[in-house]
Amino acid sequence: MNIEAKKKKIKIDSAPKKRRRIASLDRRKARVGWLFVLPFVIGLVIIYLPIIYNSIMFSFNEINTLQGGGYELVPVGFKNYSEALFVDPSYVTELTSGIRELIFDIPAIIIFALFIAILLNQNIVGRTGFRAIFFIPVIIATGLISDIDAQNILASYMGDTGASIDTGTGRNTVAEIVRVMDVEMLFANMRVGSDLVAYVVNAVNNIFNIVNRSGVQMLIFLAGLQSISPAIYESCKIDGATGWETFWKITFPMISPMILVNAIYTIIDALTRSDNNVMTYIDQVYDTGADGNVISSAMAWMYFLIVTLLIVVVSGIISAYVFYQRRDE
Amino acid sequence: MDVNRIQSSPVVKKATKNKIRVDFEGRTSAWERFKIKVFSVSFLKDVVWYLFRLILLIGISYVIIYPFISKVASSFMSREDFVDATVLLIAKHPTLDTYKAIIVDNEYFRAMLNTFILSASTAIVQTFITCLIGYGFAKFKFKGNKILFMFVVLTMIVPHPTVRLSMFMKFRYFDIFGIFNFLGGGVFESIDILKFTDISLINTYWPFYILSATGLAFKNGLYIFMLRQFFRGVPDELEESAYIDGSGPFRTFVQIILPLSIPMLITVFMFAFSWQWTDNYYTRVFFTSQGPYTLRAFIKIPRSLDTEYPGQNMYVAAIRNTCGILIMLPLILIYAFLQRYLVESIERAGIVG
Repeated sequence: MNIEAKKKKIKIDSAPKKRRRIASLDRRKARVGWLFVLPFVIGLVIIYLPIIYNSIMFSFNEINTLQGGGYELVPVGFKNYSEALFVDPSYVTELTSGIRELIFDIPAIIIFALFIAILLNQNIVGRTGFRAIFFIPVIIATGLISDIDAQNILASYMGDTGASIDTGTGRNTVAEIVRVMDVEMLFANMRVGSDLVAYVVNAVNNIFNIVNRSGVQMLIFLAGLQSISPAIYESCKIDGATGWETFWKITFPMISPMILVNAIYTIIDALTRSDNNVMTYIDQVYDTGADGNVISSAMAWMYFLIVTLLIVVVSGIISAYVFYQRRDE
Repeated sequence: MDVNRIQSSPVVKKATKNKIRVDFEGRTSAWERFKIKVFSVSFLKDVVWYLFRLILLIGISYVIIYPFISKVASSFMSREDFVDATVLLIAKHPTLDTYKAIIVDNEYFRAMLNTFILSASTAIVQTFITCLIGYGFAKFKFKGNKILFMFVVLTMIVPHPTVRLSMFMKFRYFDIFGIFNFLGGGVFESIDILKFTDISLINTYWPFYILSATGLAFKNGLYIFMLRQFFRGVPDELEESAYIDGSGPFRTFVQIILPLSIPMLITVFMFAFSWQWTDNYYTRVFFTSQGPYTLRAFIKIPRSLDTEYPGQNMYVAAIRNTCGILIMLPLILIYAFLQRYLVESIERAGIVG
């Protein structure tokens, strides 16, 4: 009897102790988590946030380099912004045309990437080979190479599809295909709006551009398709669903979170890539100043605000339709 | 009657050690089976769809590959071929002069060595650091995890020109919260070695290393995001059993998690390496014309080929393309060896938003 009571007492004693130990383990784990992300925290505090702060400051100031090293800032208020908007001849037009182009590109890239991902996900001869080819642009068509391509006047002569259709002097393969297929006639008979026709024709003309820019999106979609359980497809097949129905009822809802991710990624990628017209223009402005032109900072910040706004709007629209599979965790 | 047929014992046609081929009595003949399988609408539909897919994939592959082919073709052309309207892809006067001139005059190997040192070292650092950060975000629930990750997303969203000027200024007059300036200007002013004022890191590799070591370099936000998604898919039980066996978080990370994520690490390394290799943004900000001779400075017209003549524009474009081929060549070799890890890691990562 006595011993049992003692045992009970011990149990009661040890219970809170145990709880405390678990809590401290959690806290220790949390501390370790900070250690893991420490490099980023250091970089953020020492380098990134000061850079962002400086950049915002620059956009409200004029900059003078001092003789002995260092620089001084002369505050000018919103002068840089108003100059960028009202004095600069082409900033506003570049900006609006750039944004319009982007809004047209996003659906084309996403639809194309999804389509190719589905094709690459099915069984076909040489699937790994095709995958390897489709991901080449991700690795190679960036930075310097895309710079070279942008200035490549030889392309139109050699019949590259990379050249835009307007500058091509005849031998443009895609232009030929479009002409032969007579896409506009095809669509005119279908009685859809002429805007849509122009859009599709434009997308076909830009196919090289779209292929080049949809590599990462394809990877993300492929990963998403891989994560859909084959059992779902099997049960659909047994129930007699056609491929078309399966796509809209199964694949599309299951892949919709990836569409959101890809839409955001496409916007970010398109707006921050270096061959973007607005970016090139801002860079040009930057290069005209002796030690960096502060107006370029103001332009870039306005640009950033528009990017953020666009991302918020697009993700808001898409996330209203996204279907999340409930996972038991 | 049917039941009887099935139950009757099968005839053994061929029996080896491992395999037995049997034939059931009264089974539909091979030709009949073939006919039923092939002459049906669904089979026809499958075949047409298969061919359609194949042709489509081949067509788009052609769109991707053709520019490379045309670039390679034009790199072998001599000057006469560019004014000759009948020459399209195959040169009439094939020559290696363009390559020779570029490799010798533009010092290809020097540029490649410099870029290789830069890319390889930063890629290794970036892979390790982003892996560490991604693991921290994925597996530890600490206060501020979400907010901190928002900052990672912020580094992805902010366009480069926004921070270009201040990035340059940061490394032109490198200083941490004015500490160096204070030390240099005040306490250690008399000592020459410790004069910390006006440290310029421009034209050195240091800005790249500093950015890489803090996970802020080119596209590092994307790597952190990818790795976070990957580590989220790794079951917690693995780590728990390691903890129970008395291993600390870092040892678990190095001995359990890292070996498991090698395909993913190779993918990130490949991205980091090739994007640094062709980078023209950071090299433009941090290297002036006196900077290290990298592949960005390498794209120019070689001295020995620089003459005026009709049709020169085409020729200049071809020379630039040839520079591009030489830049791409090492990347394509690396890609050829590592691309299977790319697909494998993506298949296993299961990126879910």
